[in-house]
Amino acid sequence: MERIVQGTSPAEVIRQLQNSDGYHITNTARDLSQSDFKNRILLHTDLLAADARERAGYFSLEITGGASVHVDILRKQVDPFLKLDILRKKMPTTMFQTLCRGVNLFGYRPYPQNVIRFTVKEFAKYVDVWRTFDFMNYIPNMQAVFEEVGKAGKVNEPCICFSTGPEHTDKYYLGKIQEILDVTGSDIILCIKNHGGLGTPKRIGELVDNIRQKYPDLPIHYHGHNTDGNDIGRIVAAVQNGATIVDAGDASFTGFYGPAPILSVVQTLKDLGYNAATIDEEAVIETSEVIRDERQHYHAFESQIKGFQPTVQIHKLPGGAMGSSLEQAVKGGFLDKMPDILHKEMPRVQKELGNYWSVTPGSQILWTTAVANIQGGERYGNASGDLRNLLLGKYGPFPFYEPEDWIFEKVLGSDWKKVLEEEGGVEDISDMDIDKEKEILADRIGEEPTDQQLVLYLQHPNDAVEFFKFEAKFGKVYVLPPSIFLHEGGFEAGETISFTDHTGKEHRVEVGPSIKDEDGETSVYLNVDHHQRVYTFEPELAEGAVAKPDTISKE
Amino acid sequence: MKTKILVANRGEIAIRLIRAIQELNYEAVAVYESPDKESRHIRIADEAVWLGNGPRCDYLNIDKIINAAKKSGAVAIHPGYGFLAENPDFVKACEDEGIIFIGPSSEVVSNLGNKVIARQIMADADIPMVPGTENLSPGDDGVKEALAFAATYKYPVMLKATSGGGGRGIRLIESDDQMKSEIPVARAEAKAAFNDESVYLEKVVIEPKHVEVQIMADKEGTTVHLGTRDCSIQRRNQKLIEIAPSMISDKKLLDTICETAVKAAKAANYFNAGTVEFLIDKDFNYYFMEINTRVQVEHTVTEMITGIDIVRTQIKLAMGKKLSFCQDDIKMRGHAIEMRINAEDPKADFMPEGGKTVSVYRSPGGYGVRLDGFVYQGFTIPEVYDSLLVKMTVHGFSWNETVDRLRRCLQNFVIAGPKTTIPFYLNIVKDPDFVKGDFDTSYLDKHPELFDYEDNANEASKLANLIAEIHHCGHNPYAA
Repeated sequence: MERIVQGTSPAEVIRQLQNSDGYHITNTARDLSQSDFKNRILLHTDLLAADARERAGYFSLEITGGASVHVDILRKQVDPFLKLDILRKKMPTTMFQTLCRGVNLFGYRPYPQNVIRFTVKEFAKYVDVWRTFDFMNYIPNMQAVFEEVGKAGKVNEPCICFSTGPEHTDKYYLGKIQEILDVTGSDIILCIKNHGGLGTPKRIGELVDNIRQKYPDLPIHYHGHNTDGNDIGRIVAAVQNGATIVDAGDASFTGFYGPAPILSVVQTLKDLGYNAATIDEEAVIETSEVIRDERQHYHAFESQIKGFQPTVQIHKLPGGAMGSSLEQAVKGGFLDKMPDILHKEMPRVQKELGNYWSVTPGSQILWTTAVANIQGGERYGNASGDLRNLLLGKYGPFPFYEPEDWIFEKVLGSDWKKVLEEEGGVEDISDMDIDKEKEILADRIGEEPTDQQLVLYLQHPNDAVEFFKFEAKFGKVYVLPPSIFLHEGGFEAGETISFTDHTGKEHRVEVGPSIKDEDGETSVYLNVDHHQRVYTFEPELAEGAVAKPDTISKE
Repeated sequence: MKTKILVANRGEIAIRLIRAIQELNYEAVAVYESPDKESRHIRIADEAVWLGNGPRCDYLNIDKIINAAKKSGAVAIHPGYGFLAENPDFVKACEDEGIIFIGPSSEVVSNLGNKVIARQIMADADIPMVPGTENLSPGDDGVKEALAFAATYKYPVMLKATSGGGGRGIRLIESDDQMKSEIPVARAEAKAAFNDESVYLEKVVIEPKHVEVQIMADKEGTTVHLGTRDCSIQRRNQKLIEIAPSMISDKKLLDTICETAVKAAKAANYFNAGTVEFLIDKDFNYYFMEINTRVQVEHTVTEMITGIDIVRTQIKLAMGKKLSFCQDDIKMRGHAIEMRINAEDPKADFMPEGGKTVSVYRSPGGYGVRLDGFVYQGFTIPEVYDSLLVKMTVHGFSWNETVDRLRRCLQNFVIAGPKTTIPFYLNIVKDPDFVKGDFDTSYLDKHPELFDYEDNANEASKLANLIAEIHHCGHNPYAA
């Protein structure tokens, strides 16, 4: 079987998938980073892995999208476009994949249509496969993305978000797939987006089988999470029932909430007679070996609680939101209340709010509401703006049933019917004056922004400007390995730090003394390429260093 | 009391002059304007006179300079280059006050500063010249003369301000329509810039080499040359890189040019150091351009290959000494290249980077390396003067050795704070045409790729800044 290479037209990709005599694997490096390392896996590590990953023969490498675009600029200080550009140079063949939240793009709220189109257009220059979903499975929320991906000649991979419960029938999902096909036409890959790793192997097998019966030519891509430790079971069932592509991750970095290990998937299915034909097992093993030693430096971002969570079937939190939820519980000092929140309140809220899909941004609404219900005393007494918008139908209609009246009343007030009548319905966001935004950005950064800078600014205005300023001050820091960039504690006096800058020039920094004067100002002496340099820090900087609140990395 | 000489200049050339003055066992009197109060030339001088707040107007103020000389008891003034160096009124004022002007007489400065008179002197001495006009008549008559000239010699032609110089007041004209519209503009501009609205025309020599000859003459009229320099690598008629001797392989031609330069100097009754500039076309025809009556920025390359201290010689000649060497004593050895390291951003059309502080200054050294600079670590570059930080001149036995040395020095030269021309020059010394010695005045236009470099001079210190933050905070505050 021939490998599907980057640059192949969507129709040809679909044809090759239809004719393939084995199954394919997507390496979901981004989802692994997001689910098990709070999205902090650095470009440096991905670059170490790039050569072996390129040889491994994946259908695609999911390396951008989800919360990563935001975390790239906010915490990793890397330009998400430059990241793709650099990786592309090292990985000329492998298709790059993104995860796009439809109208919510890579953020948490709906964007204007012209911003969506502009953003997709810019990213589509680097991204070959577009996995797009809407947490309400409301197809119109994805339409603009579908259209722009099509225009760019890239592969559309619309999702049906999957969950469990009496309403989540195959009949319902088949209806959704038809809605998608009515909009996109047949040259797509269909993704079953099992962001929580929900359901049993049997359940997934049945769903895939039913889709296969009705749409025999539609390539199915199964996406799962290993939160309960059983995703290999679901993956196997999916492939046995006709899924063409499945998701997995590099073993040495697999944890608890992200993808299952690639090699385990390959070995299990091989024994069952299914061939991952384009996969080079040696390269898969090599990838894990190359990056294994880097994992220790990401220690601080791994989950506070170790072990699989079969109870995900109850609370249904998506893998991408597990780590950050637990982190919030630790920081908020309510880790002891997690059993109540996760196993009692979450399923209750879920049911009360219509049993929609617990995935960004809907999962944040469920989580925040459950935490508030437990922490705040009165249930729904302290509703977030996002919950309000959900009830108003801003994100789309409830898929199965509406919440009960008392919840509307609690959240929208006693005149909730009037409020609903006046403000309700899918938000019709008017287009943004992008040219004007460009001028504002130019003013803020003091130079004419590139289209890519403008895209980042339109996603996250303040964080993007902060990032541009950071880059001007500190340079291209993606060259620093996690052992430096995520270093815990100060360096040793006399320690030598070597790195290669983005132009390929090697540099050497030797750590000298730090001297604090009577005003509390600290001078850090570094010897940079044999030149003495002094960096001074105001007294308040040391304390103010932990400035930004940690509220991202959700899914 | 030691004899004092006043240095009527600033920056690197002031320091260059002060060094020569002090080596001759005289005392150097510096002058300065307020924006230069941290300048190194003041600290090196034996005394310094504050002229005023400036900027520039006080360095250009003849009365103030003369007064400074009188007040300090200086018997002579060295003007350097720029500012008052070629202002005949200043030379005249020195002569009137009995102060020795280190340079030619006011009459020579005046004659050679007037392009039309200069051309007449050279024409009378049969010096080959680019075809050109006299001063154009005022009004429409001048335009008619211009159109007639263009009809005879064909476009393009240069429209030049008679009192211009140093690349200023020059326009390229390519059509009759342009001629008609540009002449009034050029006149107005010349009037504003030089207080003289006269303009004239010259035929354009396409993609010439710019070759000049250093000459020295004593008061008895003994005139020698110190060989050629090639100053072809220019941007908008401003020299960036200068080389001695010229890389033209026809030595006989170069000898002829040098002899012509001596003849031209004699025709002008030239005294002291000067430079005779020529253009050389593709067929190796050479044309007289002008005589600069000052010490040139690029005099260093000639000093390196001849071993003659031009500034020292200038002072001795002005103090009444005869030339202590004759033409046969002057030997050229090897090659020298000077690069003007400017605080400019070559990528932004050489936008000056004044106002920035030099946070790191690490200069190269070693065999065959000479630096004429004035900035130091911690120095804030004044915004109101030119952007030259340091001239780096290297000398080598062969051309290849010289280029190798230059490359090594550029790689070792670290200036952080302002953007500089260093990364741009690094591209030049790696360019095959430059390495072959193949360049003319169109060099930069024909090599746009030279501007393609990364501004990574500061990249290491930027990244080190983050390392310092991580070290100081005990974690990376930008990754938390």
